[in-house]
Amino acid sequence: MNMLRRKLYRDLMHLKGQMLAVAAVVACGISVFVSMSSVKYSLEASRQQYYSRYRFADVFMQVKRAPEFYRESVGSIPGVASVTTRVMADVTLDVPGLDEPATGRIVSIPEYRGMAGLNDVFIRKGRYIEAGKSEEVIASKPFMEANGLEPGDRVGAVINGRKKELVIVGMGLSPEYIYEVQPGSFFPDNRRFGIFWMGRRSLESALDMSGSFNDLSLALTHGTSEKDVLMQLDHLFKPYGSFGAYGRSEQLSDRFISDEIKQVGMQITILPSIFLGVAVFLLNIVLRRIVTTQRDQIAVLKAMGYSNEDIGFHYLGFAMVPTTVGSVIGTALGAWLGRGLMNVYGDFYNFAELVYYFRIEDVALSVLLSFIAALFGAWSAFRKAVEMPPAEAMRPDTPVTYRPGIFQRESLRKKIPVPIRIIVRNLERRPLKAALTVIMIALSVAILVAGRFTYDVTDRMMLVEFSEKHREDVTIVFRDPMPFAVRYNIASLDGVLEHEYYREEPVRISFGHRSRRQSIKGVESAEGLQRLVDKDNRQVVLPRGGIVLTKTLADILGARPGDMLNVDFQQGRQLRRQVMLAGTIDEMLGLSAYMNLRDLDRLAGDGGALNAAYLRIDSSKAGRLYSKFKEMPGISGIMMLKALRKSFDELIAKSMNTSTIILTSFACILAFSVVYNGARISLSERARELTSLRVLGLSIREVSIILLGEQALLTGIAIPLGFLFGIGLSVLLSLALSSELYRMPLVFSAYNFIFAFVVIIIVATASGLAVRRRLVNLDLVAVLKTRE
Amino acid sequence: MDDGTRQVNGERGLVLRISDLCKSYVMGEVTVDALRHVSLDFFHGELAVLLGASGSGKSTLLNIVGGLDVPSSGKLFFHGKEITAATEEELTDYRRRSIGFVFQFYNLISSLTALENVQLVTEISEKPMPAEEALALVGLGNRLNHFPAQLSGGEQQRVAIARAVAKRPELLLCDEPTGALDFQTGKLVLEALEKVNREIGTTTLVITHNVSIAGMADRVIHLSSGEVTEDLRNASRLSPSELVW
Repeated sequence: MNMLRRKLYRDLMHLKGQMLAVAAVVACGISVFVSMSSVKYSLEASRQQYYSRYRFADVFMQVKRAPEFYRESVGSIPGVASVTTRVMADVTLDVPGLDEPATGRIVSIPEYRGMAGLNDVFIRKGRYIEAGKSEEVIASKPFMEANGLEPGDRVGAVINGRKKELVIVGMGLSPEYIYEVQPGSFFPDNRRFGIFWMGRRSLESALDMSGSFNDLSLALTHGTSEKDVLMQLDHLFKPYGSFGAYGRSEQLSDRFISDEIKQVGMQITILPSIFLGVAVFLLNIVLRRIVTTQRDQIAVLKAMGYSNEDIGFHYLGFAMVPTTVGSVIGTALGAWLGRGLMNVYGDFYNFAELVYYFRIEDVALSVLLSFIAALFGAWSAFRKAVEMPPAEAMRPDTPVTYRPGIFQRESLRKKIPVPIRIIVRNLERRPLKAALTVIMIALSVAILVAGRFTYDVTDRMMLVEFSEKHREDVTIVFRDPMPFAVRYNIASLDGVLEHEYYREEPVRISFGHRSRRQSIKGVESAEGLQRLVDKDNRQVVLPRGGIVLTKTLADILGARPGDMLNVDFQQGRQLRRQVMLAGTIDEMLGLSAYMNLRDLDRLAGDGGALNAAYLRIDSSKAGRLYSKFKEMPGISGIMMLKALRKSFDELIAKSMNTSTIILTSFACILAFSVVYNGARISLSERARELTSLRVLGLSIREVSIILLGEQALLTGIAIPLGFLFGIGLSVLLSLALSSELYRMPLVFSAYNFIFAFVVIIIVATASGLAVRRRLVNLDLVAVLKTRE
Repeated sequence: MDDGTRQVNGERGLVLRISDLCKSYVMGEVTVDALRHVSLDFFHGELAVLLGASGSGKSTLLNIVGGLDVPSSGKLFFHGKEITAATEEELTDYRRRSIGFVFQFYNLISSLTALENVQLVTEISEKPMPAEEALALVGLGNRLNHFPAQLSGGEQQRVAIARAVAKRPELLLCDEPTGALDFQTGKLVLEALEKVNREIGTTTLVITHNVSIAGMADRVIHLSSGEVTEDLRNASRLSPSELVW
C-alpha cells in the first residue's frame, strides 16, 4: 500500500489549498471546543479547590445584631457542621493618591490564624494580623493592586463615626469575594471598593459590637436540606433583625462565577457545532469532486486488482489527513487560547490560585467528534469510489443534463448576457450544492454578526446603566436608615446641585407557594436622577400604590400584573403586608423591586426612612465635597458613576477584544474556506469548458466573470441570509446566556451588519483572486488534450 | 486459477473460454445490445487482435474478460474456472493475479512517477518482475523518475504496458493501445507489446479499429454490432516495424 500512500500524499500536496481550508475549519472547531472545555473545567476545579481549601460556607446570613451565644443554638441545628460568626461593616476610606472617597467592607477575622473558621483568607503577600494590634488589617488583592498599595501602606477609614488609620500588613483573597463588587453594584471598581480583614476584637470594639455578631456563615453536612436550615435560621433570628438566610446560589460572588461557568458551557456546544457542520459540508464537496476527477484512476486501480476496501480507505485518507492536521493545530491553538482566556477570567475573578487544566479527555472527545464528522462528510465519496463499477469508471462521467431554465423565455434570453446565462444555468443544475454553499457562507456571516452582537449588547448596557437609568454623579449610602430631615443636611453641602433619595428595605416577597428574598427600592421619583429603563431602553412608569418587579423576578414568582403579592418585612416591626404587582420591567441586570418611596413607607408601617442619596454635583467643587464625604460619619459607602463606568470600560474592553478577535478570525477562516473551495471545485469541474471558451476567444476577464460570478452571486445571496442567521444565532446566545443576573437585549447596530458585510466581501474577494490566479495559469493546450 | 486448476483443464493450453456471452445496456429509454452470443477460446501465448468499428462491442468484451464488467448472460471460464460466477473478492483476486490492462488513455496515476506507477502493481502481486526490469523491457529504463506529465504519449503508454506486465499476468488486455498515438510512437508501443508476448509468453488481446495492426497477430477476430463476424489465423506474424498505416 506504499504507493497508494505516496499517491495520497502527492494528491494532498496538489490540493493543499483546499485541504488546508478544510483543516483550518476543523482546527477552529476543535480549538473552540478544547479551549472552552478546558476553561470550564479549570474554572470549576479552581473554584472547587478554593472553596474547599479556604472553607467557603454553604449558608450565609446577615443580622442587625445578635448575641454571640446564639452561635451554639445555630450549631445545634441538625445538619450544621460548623458555624462562624463575624462582625462586618461598610466604611468610607481615604486612600492615598485617590481624591474621591472609596468604600471598604471590613470583615472580622480571628485574632490568631489557627482559629480561622469558615471563609478563611488566603495571604498572597505580607502576613496575618498580629493579635492586639487594632490598626492592622489585611486588604484584598484587587483593591491593593488597583491602588498600587503594598503591605506597610496606610489607609484612612471612618469606622462607626470615628476616624481611624489602618495599617495594611497583608494582601489577601477570600472565596467569598472571587467577584469583588460593591454591594448594590454589578461592576467591579477595584480602585474605589475593597475588602479589609481586621481582628475580631478590634473590629468589635470599633463598632461597639462586643459580645455580638452581625454576620453568620454555616457549613452543612453532606445531604442536609439547605431549605430546612434556612427556615430554622430565619425563625431563630427573626427578633434580631435578620436580613434573611441564603445559600450559595444567592451569594453574589458565587452567583457570578457559576453563571460564568454555565455560559462557557453553552459556548462549548454552539460554535464547534457550526464549525464541524461546515467541515462536513466541505469534505463532502471536496471529496466528491476528487472521486469524480479520479474516476479513471479508480478504474485502473480496480483493474489492477486493488480491492474496494483498499480504494475506499485511500479516499477516506483525503478526509482523515486534513482532519488530523486540523486536530493537531486545533488542539495546540485551543491550549493556547484556553490559557489566554483563563488570564482574561483572572482579571474578572480573583482566585487564590487560578489553575489552567488542559485535559486530554477534552482533546480526545473533540478529536473523536471531528473524525466522526469527517467520516460523515466523506461517506458519500467513499461509497461512490467503492461502488463505482470499474468498467463504467473507465468511461468519462456522463455529461450533465441541462434543462430549460428561467432564461429559456425568449424575451428574457435576449436581454441576459451569455456569461450570466451560463452562471445561472450552472446554479440551476446543482440547486442543492448551491443552496448548501449559500448556507455555509451565511453561517460565517452569522458568526460575525453574533460576535459583534455582544459588543452592541455591551454598548446598550453602558447606555442604559450609565446614562439612561442613572444620571447622578455620586451615590452615597447611609450607615443607618435616616429620617426625612437628612435631606436638609445634604442640601446644605456646597456643590450639591440635585439630590434624590431612596429607601432599600429587605423583605421576602411571596406569591402562592413561591417566595424570594429581595429588597424593595422605594424611589422618590422614577423620572429624576434615577429612572426605570428596560433593556430596550424604554422608560417605564412607576404607578402609585403598587410594586414593579423585574420581569424575571415576576416570572420566578409566577406572578402577573394585577396579582396580590405578600411582602414580609425583615426589619423593624416585621409586618406581613400585601401589595399589588402593578407592572414588570424587563431589565438587563439583576432582580429588582421598585415602589414609590411614600408607598413603601406606608407599607412598612413606620415613619419612613432613607438609605441612600443620588447626587448631581458641581464638578468644580467636587474635590472639596469629596473631602467632606471622607469625614462624614454617617456614610458607609460611596459610588461614583463615571469612575465605575471607566473601570468597567477598561475591564470589558480587554475581554471583548479578545473574544471578538477570535470570533472574527474564525468567521473569516470559515468564509474563506467555503468560498475558496467552492470556486476551486467550480474551476476543476469546468476547466475544460472555460478553456474552450478561452480558445474560442473570450478574454480572461470574461471567463473569470463566469467562474467567479457564480461565487459572487452565491455570496451576494448568502449575506442577507447570514444577517438573518446572525440574528437567530444571537437570539440563541441571549437565551442560552441569560440568567438571574444578566439578560441580553436583542440589539443590532448598523455597524454590526456593515462590519460583517465588509469582512465577507474582503474574504470572498481574496479567495476569488486566489482562484483567478489558477485560471490565468491554466494551460490551454494541456487542458484540451486530456480527457474529461 | 492455481496450478491445480490448470492441470485439470482438458484442452492443453486453453486459457480462456468465452461461451455464448451477451451484454445489453439500458440507456435511457433504449436497450443497446453490446454483445450478442459471443463464443471464443484463447490459448496460451496467443496474440489476438480484435477488430471492429466504434460501438462494435470490442471494449465491452474486453471489460468482461478482464473482470471489470459482468455479462447479461453467458459464461466465461479462465483455466476452467467460471469467472462469471465469481464473487467480488474473487474478481479482485482474478484481476490482481492474472490480468494486465493497457488502456487507450494510459490511465497513469499522475501524482506518481513512472517507477512508482509500476510499483503500484508490483506491491500487490505475488511474484512480480522488478519494476525497473519491466520498464527496461519497454525501453524506458532511463525514465524511471519522470512523472506522467513529463513523458510523451508513447512513453506514457509504454509505462502503462510495463505496469500491466510487471505482475507477469497470464492475460494482457489492451484497449486501443495506439489509439491516441501517432504512427511512429504507436509502432514503439506495439513493439513493446510484441516483445512482452514473445519473451514472457503472455496471452495478449489487443483491441483496435486500425486494421493494419492485424498483421502482427496470430489471430484476427472481427466484431460487428456485438457479434463475431470473422475469426482468422495469420499464417505468419509480421514484426511491428513492418507494419504500415
